[in-house]
Amino acid sequence: MTLADATVGKLLKVIGRNAPRHGGGETIAGLGIHVGEEVIVVRAAPFSGPILVEVPSSGVRVAMGRGMAEAVVVEPADAAA
Amino acid sequence: MRRHEAPASGPGDSQPGAPHEPLIAFVGQPNCGKSTLFNALAGFKANTGNFPGTSVAITQSRVAFAGLHARIVDLPGTYSLTPRDGAEEVTRRFLSEHRADAVIAVVDASVLSRSVELTLELLETGLPMVVALNMMDEARRKGIEVDVAALEARLGVPVVPTVATRGEGVVAVAIRAMTAAKARRPGISPVYDRDIEESLAGLQAAAPRGLADALRVPQRFLAVRLLEADPFLLKHLERDTANRDFLDLAAAQRQHLAELHGWPEESVFGSHRHAAAVDLFESVATVRSRTRRSKRERLDDVLMHPFWGLVFAALALAALFLVAFLVGDRVASLVQRPFNALGQALLPAGVTGFWADVGRGLLDGIAGGAGIVLPYLVPLLLIMSVMEDVGYLPRAAFLVDGLLHRVGLHGKSIIPLILGYGCNVPGILGTRILESPRDRVITALLVPLTACSARTVIILALVAATLGPLAALGIYLLNILVTALAARLLSAIVPGTAPGLLMDIPPYRIPPIKAVLRKVWFRVREFLVAAWPVLIVASIFLGVLTYLGVDRWVNEALRPVTVGLLGLPEAVGVTLFFGILRKELSLVMLFQALGTTDVASVLTATQLVTFTLFVTFYVPCVSTLAAQVREVGWRWTLVGVGLNTSIALGVAVIARLAMGG
Repeated sequence: MTLADATVGKLLKVIGRNAPRHGGGETIAGLGIHVGEEVIVVRAAPFSGPILVEVPSSGVRVAMGRGMAEAVVVEPADAAA
Repeated sequence: MRRHEAPASGPGDSQPGAPHEPLIAFVGQPNCGKSTLFNALAGFKANTGNFPGTSVAITQSRVAFAGLHARIVDLPGTYSLTPRDGAEEVTRRFLSEHRADAVIAVVDASVLSRSVELTLELLETGLPMVVALNMMDEARRKGIEVDVAALEARLGVPVVPTVATRGEGVVAVAIRAMTAAKARRPGISPVYDRDIEESLAGLQAAAPRGLADALRVPQRFLAVRLLEADPFLLKHLERDTANRDFLDLAAAQRQHLAELHGWPEESVFGSHRHAAAVDLFESVATVRSRTRRSKRERLDDVLMHPFWGLVFAALALAALFLVAFLVGDRVASLVQRPFNALGQALLPAGVTGFWADVGRGLLDGIAGGAGIVLPYLVPLLLIMSVMEDVGYLPRAAFLVDGLLHRVGLHGKSIIPLILGYGCNVPGILGTRILESPRDRVITALLVPLTACSARTVIILALVAATLGPLAALGIYLLNILVTALAARLLSAIVPGTAPGLLMDIPPYRIPPIKAVLRKVWFRVREFLVAAWPVLIVASIFLGVLTYLGVDRWVNEALRPVTVGLLGLPEAVGVTLFFGILRKELSLVMLFQALGTTDVASVLTATQLVTFTLFVTFYVPCVSTLAAQVREVGWRWTLVGVGLNTSIALGVAVIARLAMGG
């Protein structure tokens, strides 16, 4: 599962990263979304726009386009435990 | 602590006899309050200059506190020292080439674990450093307590808690940085896992003799950058074949680490630094968990709501222009009255001759700035600055990203476009926030289509004042529609791909009044010193042309367009021609060319609309063109000029035909 098809409000764990189709992958980490980190999709923008991702451990909030979100592989946080 | 308690010297008054003035660089991630901190120190005297070899402007100033002098520079915000765009590259180059004497690492305490990652990278540069632990108020609100002494011990550099928006701690940071620059003692570089340290040691041992010194960086920093596969450094080193073995070793080490950790090569090092930052955060900070949803979240529930958020955005923009119009209209009529009276007293309609024409030009130029531009410009800039500083713009970008993608734009493009409604120049400079060259070109060509405050003045003064506010609103909607169509067109012809949206959403911040006023003042000053004199000189020049009868030649030359295509009086030719200097001129000169400020008595409704539409979409002013050339080059600027002119003619002619003129 990637962040692009995650349900809003569920705690997720980042388990891997693909290279986004149009580049910009390093910035995902620069903004604070790392492998192993827990994240929540807080809300989604209209018109199949971006999603808002929160990293609860740092309080960082990042808006992420669909293409970028598809590059972040996640699984439900409880499954990892 | 109060700000400006010590007199700071201005940029101009360098003291010849003074000892070496250290250069202190402000470095931090975007939205960490770095520029606020910088401005709190630099005050109103800061000036901007281009970084050598790039078009990226950096702000610098001179300060003096407690008998110590320094030059300070505000480097572009960056998430890490591995640059992703031109602005970030400036920061990296400045730190590795210019060798600032000290660095003030600005850290956002409210997102400490992420923010401190850059600090760890900065420590590796070996530069003397002071950490400004900023946004302490916000961290406290989030329940984060930081043990400053523990953080100092771990980093090996002074840490000063600050609240830049209130000026707390800013002078202390400056003084500590000046002291650090003198002491020249670097902090403690982070230590990584054993396998990483072994790779670093291997690389340091294998480095060609003198390479690090030639690059003016510490050995360890060189090894770290290579393990991180810094594209700029690799490119630089590849030029010399003597480095080949060393680079091969570095590549082998990267691959080895990637296999060992099962992560992609380029993220191994970043992940370790992240782990180091998290470890640091956990050892120096305690977080009390929040139970209540913060105000920010409740506000975002509305402002970022898929439907209500868009409604709010539309209302906010409408309110912005309404307020600017209501305030501007009232003030304008107050200011214009004495000017009109003065004009009539000094130069009654019957008086003719050279000095009468020059005098009228002078008076019109002054009155145009004071009575037409400033009343509308100041409220518009004030509201825009508040919107910018509160943190609303990224949220607007989030909401409209999906919509903008339909016309081939990037969500972040909305920010330069909104800024463009204030003034096109900051709008075009604002395209730097876009990562891909393609998005920058498209957006920089679209910004001139947005009706900047000068054109808003024309729309308000010509259309709203004579045909009513609804007609003006219609022109705005048409403006947005045409901009969207142009975006669709440009995205089809500008080559390249665009990375998706990826953007920090900072918390809402109540901007200090001083910071907002400072920003407004900078932009108004731009008008006062750069545009108004041009306006006055051009207006006088026009008076001279009128006296000589040259304006008739210009009007005659432009007749096929003005009269033939647009159905306007011949006299407006010269106003459109000189409007390229400054858009404000179009209006001032229209009054002068027609000989009255009561345009409705001379022009029909169709002519008013045609003229306004043409001016709105036509080639922007020279300052906008200059900014465009700087950002996207001559070729695209010329494409933009062609686009503007054809759209202006097309829209104006269609309007003329539709209105039956």
